[in-house]
Amino acid sequence: MLLCAALTSAFIFTACDDDEDAAVPSGDVTVNFNALYDGANLTVQSDVYDYPDGSELKVQLFQYYVSDLELIPANGGDAVQLSDILLVRYNNAQEDNVDSYEFNEIPAGEYTGIRYGLGVSPDLNSMDPNEFDADFVLNDAEFWPGNARYVFAKIEATVDLENDGTFDTGVSYHMGSNDIYSTVTFNAPITVSENGNTTLDIMADVQKALAASDTDFHDFSDESQRIVHGGNQAVAADIWERLGAQFTLSVR
Amino acid sequence: MYNSLIFSEFVFLQIHVFINTCIYKFIILLILASFTLACSNTPTPPYAAILYPDDNPSTEQGVELGSRLFSDPILSADSTISCQSCHLPELAFTDGKTLSVGINGRIGRRNSPSLTNIGYLFRTMFWDGRADNLEAQALHPVADPNEMGGDWPTIITRLRHHDYYGEALKDAFGLSSLREINPDHVGKALAQFQRSLISFNSKYDLVLRGEAVFTDSEARGFNIFMDEADFSEDPEIKALPVSECAHCHIPPHFTNQQFFNNGLDEAPNLTEFPDLGRGTVTGNLYHNGLFRTPGLRNVELTAPYMHDGRFETLEEVVDHYNKGGHYAENRSANVRPLGLSDRDKTDLVTFLRTLTDTVFVNQYTSAK
Repeated sequence: MLLCAALTSAFIFTACDDDEDAAVPSGDVTVNFNALYDGANLTVQSDVYDYPDGSELKVQLFQYYVSDLELIPANGGDAVQLSDILLVRYNNAQEDNVDSYEFNEIPAGEYTGIRYGLGVSPDLNSMDPNEFDADFVLNDAEFWPGNARYVFAKIEATVDLENDGTFDTGVSYHMGSNDIYSTVTFNAPITVSENGNTTLDIMADVQKALAASDTDFHDFSDESQRIVHGGNQAVAADIWERLGAQFTLSVR
Repeated sequence: MYNSLIFSEFVFLQIHVFINTCIYKFIILLILASFTLACSNTPTPPYAAILYPDDNPSTEQGVELGSRLFSDPILSADSTISCQSCHLPELAFTDGKTLSVGINGRIGRRNSPSLTNIGYLFRTMFWDGRADNLEAQALHPVADPNEMGGDWPTIITRLRHHDYYGEALKDAFGLSSLREINPDHVGKALAQFQRSLISFNSKYDLVLRGEAVFTDSEARGFNIFMDEADFSEDPEIKALPVSECAHCHIPPHFTNQQFFNNGLDEAPNLTEFPDLGRGTVTGNLYHNGLFRTPGLRNVELTAPYMHDGRFETLEEVVDHYNKGGHYAENRSANVRPLGLSDRDKTDLVTFLRTLTDTVFVNQYTSAK
C-alpha cells in the first residue's frame, strides 16, 4: 500500500509539475510570413500589377491558413510544434506585407528544417467553428457554412482585362478541402540558440500562384475560371498546386 | 506503531498534496460543472461564448441598470431621445426609418443598425467601425448633435442627482461615492444590457435543432443563400444558382464583421462615394465606400436596408445583388451578376424571413 501511495504521489507530482520545462535551454523563434507579387513586396488594394496575359490587376485579399507549424530536430526526435493553426492575411493597404509570429521558449538546438500544412489540418477541419473562442482564427468567418469546411486560402483581385483603366472584373479563388490539404517542408539548417532569437522568413508570391510562366497562367478572360467558391475546386486546382509549391524560406 | 504513525503521517501528507494538485482542482471543477448543468434549465445559445471584457463583466445589476438607461431619454440634452428611440425592440432594435432621427428632429447620417446578438460581435461597432467595442460605442450618441445632442458633464451631473441612477451606478460598479460616476460607467452599463440581447429561436434555429422543417420555398432559399449547389451531391440542389450571400453573411450571426464595398454606388474615382464609410475612420483611400457587414438575424424586421436605408424591402436588396452592383475598383470581387430568377429571388427572401425570432422580439417588446 505504501508503495502504491508513493507511486501515486510520484505521478501527481510529475503530472502537474510545470517547473521542469523551464529548465530546458531555449530560445525564441520569429516566423515572418512575407507576401510578394512577382518577387516584389505585395501591397494589396493600391498597387497595380502586371499579369502575363497583358492585363493589370489589384490584389484585394491574399490569405491562407497554416497548420502544425513545426521545427524538425536534427537529432531525429519529435518535431517541435510552434503553432497548431495560424491565419496569414493581407487585406489592408495601410499594413505591410509581413505577418509576423514570435514563438518563445523553443528548445535550443539544431534543426534540419521547418514544415507546415497549407490549409486546415483534417482534425481541425472537421470541427464546428463555434467550438472555438469567438476570436480564435478558426472562428473567423472563413468557412463554408453549409458543412463547416474551412476555406484554406483566398486570393481575390480586381482585374483590368481591357486595359481601359477600370478594374472591373472580379476574380475570387476560395480554396480548401481535406483532399487538397498539403504539407510544405523546407530542408534548411536552423539553429535555435539559448536565449537567442532565430528569424525565419517564409515568402509567398501571389503571382507565382496564379501563373507558372508568361505562357502558362490562370485564364481570367474565361468567365468560368474567375470564381471558385466551393464545389468547383477543380477550376482552381492549378492555383492551389502552384501556391503550395512556390513558398521559399530564408533563415536569419 | 512506528509504521502505523509513519503511514498516517504519509497519508495526511498525501491528502495535503492531493488538495494542492491540479487533479483535485479538476475533480472539483467537474463536480461544479455537473451541478451547474443539472441545476440549469436555461437553454444555451449554440454560439461561441460572448467575449466579456475583463473590466466589464456582466452582472444582473449592471444589465438591469443598462436596460433602464437604454430606454430612458435622460441621456439626451432635452430628455426627449433615448437609445430605444432608434432601437425599438419590436423592430429588432432598429427604427424603421431611412436615417435615424435625433433631437429636435435632426436627421442622422446613417440607418439605425439592429442590435440582435450585438454582444457576439467583438470587433468594431457602427457601420464604419469607428468604435472599438460596445462600451466605446455607447458613448458616441450622447454628444452627437444629430442624435442625443447633449454633453457628458451635464448628463453625468443629471445621473448623479437622480433618485435611482446615482446609487445604481455606484453599486453596479463598486464606486465609493457619486462623484466617481463618469461616462465610462454609463457605457459599461449600456454594453452589459446590449450583450444580453441574444436571439437563437428563429425558425432557422429551430430547423437546425430539428424542431421545425423549412417549407419547400424556404429550403430552396436556404440552399441558394448558402451556395449549397457548390457542395451538394443532390442533383436538385446542384442545379440551383449560387447567391454569394454567405461569404459575408456567415452563420451563426450572419456577418463576418468585416468591411466591404457591396457595389451600392458608382465611383470611377475612390473619392467620389457619397459616404466614405470606413475610409473616414481609417484614412485609407481604399476603404472609401466600405461598410460593415450587418448581421441578418431578424432582417425581416429591420427595413429599410443598407447604411443609408436606400432599399425599402428585402426584394430590393436581392435585386441589387442580383444585378452585381455598381462599379468601383474596390467593389468586392464576390459582388457580381448572379442570374437569379424571380423564383430564386422569392425563395431567397422567404429564407431570410426564417431568421425572424419572435421569441426574442416579444421578450423585449413586452418589457418596454
